[in-house]
Amino acid sequence: MARPPVRANGLPLGLRDSAGVDARPFTARPAAAPRRRRGLGTLLRSAEARRQLWGYAFLAPMLLLLLVFKFLPMVQAFYLSLTSYDLLSAPRFVGLSNYTALLRDPLFHQSVGATAYFVFGTCVPLWILSLLLALVFNTALPARNVLRLIYFLPAIMPVVVYATVWRFLFHPYGLLNVGLHAIGLPAVDWLGDRRATMPGFILSAEWRFVPYFMIVYLAGLQNIPQEYYEAAAIDGASGLQRFRAITLPLLRPTGLLVIVVSLILMSKVFTNVLIISGGGPDGATRVLSLFIYQTGFQFFKMGLASAASIFLLLGMMVFTLMQLRLFRDGGHD
Amino acid sequence: MISGHTYVDRTLYWVRFVLVSAFGILMLVPILWMLSTSLKPLAQVFQLPIQWIPRPPEWSNYPAAWNQFPFGRYFVNSVIVSVAVTVLNVVLAGFAGYSLAKYRYVGQRVLFLAILCTLMLPIEVLMVPTFLIVKELGWLNTYQGLIVPVAADAFGVFLMRQFMLHLPDSLIEAARIDGAGELGTYFRIVVPLVWPAVFTLGLFVWRETWDSFVWPFIIISDDSLRTVPIGLQRFQEQYVTTYNQVMAISTVAMIPLVLLFFFFQRAFIQGIALSGLKE
Repeated sequence: MARPPVRANGLPLGLRDSAGVDARPFTARPAAAPRRRRGLGTLLRSAEARRQLWGYAFLAPMLLLLLVFKFLPMVQAFYLSLTSYDLLSAPRFVGLSNYTALLRDPLFHQSVGATAYFVFGTCVPLWILSLLLALVFNTALPARNVLRLIYFLPAIMPVVVYATVWRFLFHPYGLLNVGLHAIGLPAVDWLGDRRATMPGFILSAEWRFVPYFMIVYLAGLQNIPQEYYEAAAIDGASGLQRFRAITLPLLRPTGLLVIVVSLILMSKVFTNVLIISGGGPDGATRVLSLFIYQTGFQFFKMGLASAASIFLLLGMMVFTLMQLRLFRDGGHD
Repeated sequence: MISGHTYVDRTLYWVRFVLVSAFGILMLVPILWMLSTSLKPLAQVFQLPIQWIPRPPEWSNYPAAWNQFPFGRYFVNSVIVSVAVTVLNVVLAGFAGYSLAKYRYVGQRVLFLAILCTLMLPIEVLMVPTFLIVKELGWLNTYQGLIVPVAADAFGVFLMRQFMLHLPDSLIEAARIDGAGELGTYFRIVVPLVWPAVFTLGLFVWRETWDSFVWPFIIISDDSLRTVPIGLQRFQEQYVTTYNQVMAISTVAMIPLVLLFFFFQRAFIQGIALSGLKE
């Protein structure tokens, strides 16, 4: 079978669907870019110059905002990470000692470990479950729209509500333990037992994010043209063969996207941890963003907090570069 | 899906349905528990067996919870901040996207890549320096502090540029020849053509801002400037054992998003699918 001419560039539903857009890799220039015509006389050239100025003018406001609230903070994070600063007296240059302090700090080690535990513990089941669920939802199903709506509810509820409800579920007499009791299992001290809290968090994250990434997968699945399946069925391919020869390869860009996005999303988890466990018990769930928050805003060690953010930034940068690469490679993987 | 109406196919169809429904009910149970708890008297909250439909429903939990904190005020603040961020971000992202897609100038490529790079700097990473900059500007505990730094987000720039790249240059050229001027061309020709994208982006930004917690949590200590998520977090902290009221106020906080979801389901889902590009 000839390779299908799909725009399999990993961009989900919205981009293509609503405006019929074939989103190109971001480095490509538009094919029909008018070439600058030099030497056509002063009139044209001044019009050209004026156009250039308009180009800058349209870009300037957003660029200014990004300079002040993205680039400047990033530079400052690097600078502060080399200082000792408590908000009261001026920052004092201390070289790399914040970094060496962090590398020797058992609390930081614990925090990195908790983050890795949460990120990978959540993401691996998440990838599998959301794909399975999307595959089921992509087939004929009675009351599909109603079911889909139900599944979307956890994904669209406000993050604070989500955290509040789960804190209540984790209560010693809460619904989780009622459920465990009903199937004959002992109660779990979800927020007091350091071995139980992180699995509880992972469970809650699956509840919220499996539907979320199912939506992304569904978008990818719906971009696979039905004709391929029909043609394969006429050729006598079984369901499993069709899945392996059509669905899996064409879903690969979406799958990569889901992997990267979920890794980034989970590594910056903050709100639900703050609300549900506050990082406890004994720091077992003190993920990096919470570590940064507590170091900076509760202990006022801005330098140390900045050094910790550099570590988090490095981790995210790896994931983001993976993501950017995906977009560049999209379309001709 | 091609399904011959064989016995196996029909069985599979219903097996799938039963599995998905059972799992769906499991997904729904926490939300149902929230709703039913919000209507129980406190003494009944942990009573077994669970009474899913409390009789009689304790509707008074709602006004009682609402009146503990100035939630009306928080709600107004949330509306102000989320609408302002959305308008500011979408308008400026539209301009910037247009500039990157339809103009040619020196340094354009570098600027575009630099803007893209800011996508990997979420507030969780930059909370300390961003806080210090906003403090320096004297914007702690102000609306502009809640609005402007959040509007500085490049996701929309990237999105608008992608959509505008595909507008035919001839259209824009024609408008110019008709003497529409650069701003006129943008507002009268370009914006109407990319309106669906503008709308989707707007809904997406609004939702993210309405729901945002970290930034207002860091820079706001003045109660009259708190937004709904912060108010809710403080409420559940302070009245942690008044479970019925905590669940009542959680239910209220969920209503705007659920309503919006029902009305704009399609755009909402696109927004979630789009967020794949962000985070």
